[in-house]
Amino acid sequence: MLTTTCSRRKFIGAASATAGLWLARPAISWARSVPAVRVAVGKCPEYGPGVVGVLENMFDQLGGLEGLVAGKTVAVKLNLTGMAYDRLGYAPAGLTHWVHPEVVGATVHLLGKAGAHRIRLLESPMSTAEPLEEFMLQANWEPRDFSVAAPRVEFENTNCLGRGKEYSRFWVPGGGLMFKGYDLNHSYADCDVFVSLAKLKEHVTAGVTLSMKNCFGITPCTIYGDDSPADQPSLVPRGGRGPFHFGNRLPSKSAPPPAEGNNSTDPGYRVPRVVADLVAARPVHLAVIDGIHTMAGGEGPWTTGRRHVQPGLLVAGTNCVATDAVAMALMGFDPMADRGTAPFETCDSTLRLAEHLGVGTRDLNQIEVVGTPISRARFDFRRA
Amino acid sequence: MSLDPTWVPMKWPCGPLEMARRKKSASANAELNGTLEAWSRPAALELLKGTPVNCLIVAWAYGEPEDSAQQQALKPLLEAGRTLGIRFVGKIATKEGAGAAVAAGRAAGLSAVMLGDASGQPYDLPVILQFSQDKVAWEVATPIFSSTGNAWPGLRLETMEGDTGIAGPTGVPWVDSNGWFSLLAHELTAGKALWLDCDPPASSSASHPANYGLAIADSRAYGSRWIVSLDDKLRAALVKTNSQAMEVWGKLCETLVFFERHRDWQAFRSQGVLAVISDFRGDNASLSQEVLNLLNRRQVQFLIVERARTLSAALDGLKAILWLDEEAPTSQQRSKLFDFVRKGEGLVITAAYWGPPDVKAIKKDTYPGYALYNVGKGLIAVTEAGFQDPYQVAVDAHLLVSRRNDLVRLYNPASTNCRSSTDPGNRKRLVQILNYSANPADLVTLWMNTRSHSARLWWPESKDPLQVQGADATPGTEFGLPPIFAYCALEFEGSNPC
Repeated sequence: MLTTTCSRRKFIGAASATAGLWLARPAISWARSVPAVRVAVGKCPEYGPGVVGVLENMFDQLGGLEGLVAGKTVAVKLNLTGMAYDRLGYAPAGLTHWVHPEVVGATVHLLGKAGAHRIRLLESPMSTAEPLEEFMLQANWEPRDFSVAAPRVEFENTNCLGRGKEYSRFWVPGGGLMFKGYDLNHSYADCDVFVSLAKLKEHVTAGVTLSMKNCFGITPCTIYGDDSPADQPSLVPRGGRGPFHFGNRLPSKSAPPPAEGNNSTDPGYRVPRVVADLVAARPVHLAVIDGIHTMAGGEGPWTTGRRHVQPGLLVAGTNCVATDAVAMALMGFDPMADRGTAPFETCDSTLRLAEHLGVGTRDLNQIEVVGTPISRARFDFRRA
Repeated sequence: MSLDPTWVPMKWPCGPLEMARRKKSASANAELNGTLEAWSRPAALELLKGTPVNCLIVAWAYGEPEDSAQQQALKPLLEAGRTLGIRFVGKIATKEGAGAAVAAGRAAGLSAVMLGDASGQPYDLPVILQFSQDKVAWEVATPIFSSTGNAWPGLRLETMEGDTGIAGPTGVPWVDSNGWFSLLAHELTAGKALWLDCDPPASSSASHPANYGLAIADSRAYGSRWIVSLDDKLRAALVKTNSQAMEVWGKLCETLVFFERHRDWQAFRSQGVLAVISDFRGDNASLSQEVLNLLNRRQVQFLIVERARTLSAALDGLKAILWLDEEAPTSQQRSKLFDFVRKGEGLVITAAYWGPPDVKAIKKDTYPGYALYNVGKGLIAVTEAGFQDPYQVAVDAHLLVSRRNDLVRLYNPASTNCRSSTDPGNRKRLVQILNYSANPADLVTLWMNTRSHSARLWWPESKDPLQVQGADATPGTEFGLPPIFAYCALEFEGSNPC
């Protein structure tokens, strides 16, 4: 395994600089001068006690977490797509389409160990305003396992207003590809560090769902849902994010309007742009992708051609575009691919769009892969 | 002769009275008349040989001119039936007094009569009172009583698009079930037997039969009996011994046999972490009964306690009580509930606070829409807007109790529901799973809160159980199930079922 000697004091220099630069400079011009970023790949054949060690090593390879999270409030967006009772076959969701609870626990533990002041676990569970802990319990997860993994662990369902008094507004630099901005649960603003904790999967609409597509779920269905009121958010989310997919209706008028001249109703056009908008508006500081066990053929048990696979991989990086690019390469895809080429046969590349917005690079030549080389870790999803 | 709750009842429409009644309906035609005539002949009883059906419900007197002819026409059928050990219950729906009709029935050899008259007037034959489901006079229910207006179990037609069920507010397909009503009847009429009177949809036929197996299972799994009722087309086809019809009938009887073989399950008691208390009557009936229905749909395992029985109700093992009625508990009831909260770390969910006056509501971490009061080791949760929407009441109750206390869960549940119960000695646990779709439920996983290495899986299609192995799913166990048609049951033994 390739190791690096990057010290924790030099925490993820290029990557953390990325976030700062991005905020300070015009996005599009900055995209042409992206510095090399680092993405760590770890082999981890199975869930269990070994996950913490592999992840810790990967974070060390990235330069350590302390500089990023010590004394900070860290928001962690989990990928818990669909209903808690959905399963691919008989397999628990963590083995197929959800990030596994042991990866969540290990990440929380390491964030706490690195000095995070507060860790908020976030997700927008399908069609409900119920507490996130209850949603987890329905899947037979034990939220207390996360609470004891680090000091001050909190949970919030971000599919609604939650504990906030009002929604937080995030403008997309440059005016946005689909919307000028997005109104989100307060937890996405009330944090110093934002982590996307995703699953290594294909996606029927967006080609792949990795650390960026995970952020599609930060949008509250009280505003962006199928049945959200025309004027203002509902109290309780009902339905999914059909309007993002199909453009069949607008979000509540209280939210920022669509970007001008964008009337497409093609989900393969719309969804990647919404995702790119979101990661531009709400930057991801740390991307972690669980590919130990997962599924191929789609993002959830509801997709056709679905099957359980076991790549035995973890991927982490401080730039979500670069991390997703490496993850795509690990899945057997070309991260430079675009519409018409796998896995983007019927959609645009979220990576290209995000790169265009200046979020990061998808060019493997500009990405330093640490840990296990891609060539020794590749797991071809289309052949699995 | 007294009423026997082990009777297996079936509607047996036949004879001139039925013909006269059906003349008024759109379904009247020569074939139907032929069927009604054929079913009045003793030879029709051949169908029942070797089946558990041993009690036939026949039209006896409807205050129509054909009453007398009906009673005459049925004599040969009744005589032949008696030799086969079949009981007959005559349905009487006269506007005038039923005395003469009952006397005629006694003379003809009826075993009982079915009446809508709840006046309590004595008759010469045992009476099975029949009520509309929403107007049951629980206090005067006879040892066997019947309800009309029940739901035909299955996916609700209004929520169907083609073969696909549309989700209800729960996000899962909306199903019709009488399970909640059977459980309620059991609580409000202890020791009495409920017969559900419910006809199959008009669209049912021998080639596309209604889900008869589910109708049986939806009653038996919850402690009642469905009065077997076949659709007209199927009965016509059975007269002709049509092979498709005989197969449908055979499967129906197979399900009846299955539940008769497992009659001991009827003594099993519901498991629950939540007790729902109400009088379930009058102004409280609508909300309280729908809450039961929706809790059941969420697979929340609950106990029903009639408000008047609060003092005698066993609260051991409960985590919470849902006090649904606006009427506050009496001082004695309050005392018992306080003990449950204070000493037992219990939760009481109620529409109005009637706890100690010096206790203030908790300001932080409250559940939305509820004020929480710490009382001793437990909590009283008071809804701020009262109980209005039964769906929301069921959701709130489930979440306030917390899914951490779930006794069972289903994964890939589709249109399935389940009921968990234990035998009176608390040595066996039974989880019954019903599939309300006409299509098999695939890849369903049952999670139960206790550890168990294996279980016996029973289903009507097989005489012998299948031993299934559990997988650890801390803090409980999971069982991946084969495709479920209408029903299956998992029986666990000797491993701390509660």
